[in-house]
Amino acid sequence: MNDIGEFTLMVALATALYGTVAYVMSARGNRIDLYLSADKIPLITWACVMISSIALWKALFTNDFSLQYVYAYSNIELDYFYKFSSFWGGQKGSLLFWTLLLSTYTLVVHFQNRKKSLIVVPYAMAVLLGVTVFFLFLLNFSTNPFERIPLPPADGRGLNPLLQNYWMVIHPPTLYLGYVGFTVPFAYAMAGLITKSLDDSWIRLTRKWTVVSWFFLCMGNLFGASWAYVELGWGGYWAWDPVENAAFMPLIIATAYLHSVMIQEKKDMMKVWNMSLVLLTFVMTIFGTFITRSGLIQSVHTFDEATLGYYFLGFLFFIIAVCSVMIVWRLPLLKSKNELDSFLSREASFLFNNLLLLGIGFATFWGTIFPIISEAVRGIKITVGPPFYNQVNVPIGLALLALIGIGPVIAWRRATWSNLKKNFHKPVAVALVGGAVLYPILPLSNRSEIYTFIAFILCMFVTSSILLEFFKGTMARSQSHEETTVGALGSMIWHNKRRYGGYVVHIGVVMIYAGIAASQSYGTHIEKRMKIGDTIEISDYMLRYEKIAAVQATSVKTRIIAQLAVEKDGRRIWTARPEKEFYKGQTQPVSEVDVRSTLASDLYVILADFSEDDSATIKVYYNPMVSWLWMGGWVIALGTMVCAWPDRLEQRRRLERLKRQEIVFSPAQE
Amino acid sequence: MISRVQKTVLVLVVVLFMAFSNTGSASAGALLADLENALMCKCDDKCGKVLENCTCSTSDKTRKKFSKMLESGLTVEQIVKQQVEEHGETILSAPTKKGFNLTAWIIPFGAILVGGLGLRRLLNVWTGKKMPDNEVDGAADVDTDKPDDAAGSTKYSHRLQDELNQLET
Repeated sequence: MNDIGEFTLMVALATALYGTVAYVMSARGNRIDLYLSADKIPLITWACVMISSIALWKALFTNDFSLQYVYAYSNIELDYFYKFSSFWGGQKGSLLFWTLLLSTYTLVVHFQNRKKSLIVVPYAMAVLLGVTVFFLFLLNFSTNPFERIPLPPADGRGLNPLLQNYWMVIHPPTLYLGYVGFTVPFAYAMAGLITKSLDDSWIRLTRKWTVVSWFFLCMGNLFGASWAYVELGWGGYWAWDPVENAAFMPLIIATAYLHSVMIQEKKDMMKVWNMSLVLLTFVMTIFGTFITRSGLIQSVHTFDEATLGYYFLGFLFFIIAVCSVMIVWRLPLLKSKNELDSFLSREASFLFNNLLLLGIGFATFWGTIFPIISEAVRGIKITVGPPFYNQVNVPIGLALLALIGIGPVIAWRRATWSNLKKNFHKPVAVALVGGAVLYPILPLSNRSEIYTFIAFILCMFVTSSILLEFFKGTMARSQSHEETTVGALGSMIWHNKRRYGGYVVHIGVVMIYAGIAASQSYGTHIEKRMKIGDTIEISDYMLRYEKIAAVQATSVKTRIIAQLAVEKDGRRIWTARPEKEFYKGQTQPVSEVDVRSTLASDLYVILADFSEDDSATIKVYYNPMVSWLWMGGWVIALGTMVCAWPDRLEQRRRLERLKRQEIVFSPAQE
Repeated sequence: MISRVQKTVLVLVVVLFMAFSNTGSASAGALLADLENALMCKCDDKCGKVLENCTCSTSDKTRKKFSKMLESGLTVEQIVKQQVEEHGETILSAPTKKGFNLTAWIIPFGAILVGGLGLRRLLNVWTGKKMPDNEVDGAADVDTDKPDDAAGSTKYSHRLQDELNQLET
């Protein structure tokens, strides 16, 4: 099976290469024979990559340690759940997984468009297959997952204990679905540039791809934060690590694009800007991959092989060069009649939203690469850690939060001052009253607490402005259509999915802001060396250390479990069981924290250290409102689902528009 | 040309920002936390984590060492200085705000400022094509306001219908 897997990787490379060339030549020369043969390539490539993937999964499940990859990332004792996830636990497997997703997306794009005969499709397919060629080249000639060991060992080294967590089964695939998904809008954008189809048709074709990829990237980031929270044992969820930044930057740029593209759809302007944002989003996904795999920047997440960095750097420069040349080349066609009715309009607020989002994206990028710049300029390597990002990004983020509240209330095209007053006075009143109530309650002794206070006020402003929109829309529809309130709400959302789905997403974002603000400022922790019976107090809780026990979980894993009774108001409410896990062959034990999560706060208990006399060092974090982050993520999921829900009316209109524009590809029609 | 109101708002924003930026973050009981936040962990695994976030055995030892240093009367600044002399600037969790490192702090805000000014200029050009600023207040809002004259009414009705059609998509 390993031979078959290795062979199909070679076949996949050959077919993808052929497909790339054939699609381009068929479109350029209007050759039906080439087009028909190229049209089979996405399926063949996908099948080959799938066979290779199945071969690697089989090797992992059957403990085939003749494969270097299986030896390095699995062992006999490893749970099947984690054998499945060790597929993407290492460099080679993760690249194969990336290629599998990319070839799957390519296949989906192929099936979506094979009856549409659009001129952009062959070029988009060529770009998708071209990117696939790059990854297949790496898999065949640089990081072959089917590399053999001449004398297979009896057992493997096992998966990194930190990766043996359920979030690591979910987080990387979700993140990759987002990363890889942005290849599709990129491919269509490039195809648009090549074919001069530079109206908004490519945007409409890729709208759902962009929304869905954005959603996966967003959830991937949140799942990663969840993993860090429960597995790394430091009481936090985001450390502005370079690899976290790498996943954050494309998300931020894609968010800017999702907003500015609405202006192009409505007013047919900002074509250069939107095109640049789509290309930049893809460039940032490759930049992120370069950071993860180059070893250039020190991070807890990076893979251990540095050679791949050169390939990714080359690919990155190639993409940037091609994108720049294409945009400059097509600049005359991308010029649009830029007119805005007023400074006071939703369009203008979207432009400021773009400015701030790109500001955050740039600050994050700048912080990530600044150590390299410092080393190049001064010869001194420095570190850019959380204090930098917090000081730079938090004020920009707060301004952005304010704009989230202004956006829904301000009118398209033109708003008047009198109308602004009318629309804003209620949300502003809610925010001011809320601020007045919070002012005497919340501590305001340092910068972080002041920021949090402002964040809460803005959260109230944004939430009230969005809820007011729902209320006004529902009441208006209820009266005009003589529907019940619930019925009117439902049909209003149903007929304006993008608008109200977007508002729901904004509510989710506000929840995340609130969760971050509260947990960053009002969290507290305590650490104490305890003997059996000792107590520790934090916030309203009292924890009594009851016992500690060792459990041989498997032949390679020993668990040391401490037990603490948690009391509130003299009543036992929970039993905390934080653990230390020792894995055979690993120098550092892994902390398994125990968390009691409520809407108000998390009680987060860590077994930091222990001794043979049963004493233990216990660290307890009191983290307010952390659960709001995770709930915000699910609200974003709900909102995205509403936005991306299939709309027959929209589909019909889009097809009619495309027919009118006659941007058809002739060979497929013959 | 920037009006007086705009100037005042700009100055207020800058003053508020400077005020927040310069607000001290250390309270008496949080000196160790400040140190943990200011310094990176120097563990053998080269974990790349700020000390506050690190859970390795080296970080535990470092925290204990810093606690003792604080108890001995050393200030946070003295300990940080000592650490920089021992390990170099890489021990700091953020660039210093002097010399070349200052560019790390200035450039992101500078970029936003330049972008903001550019955007303002762009908006001036784009909106200037339509009508002068002093007519804005008298203009109707397409969401709710009704224009007075019949021609305006027809124009805005078309615009409203157009917008409602787009909203349906």
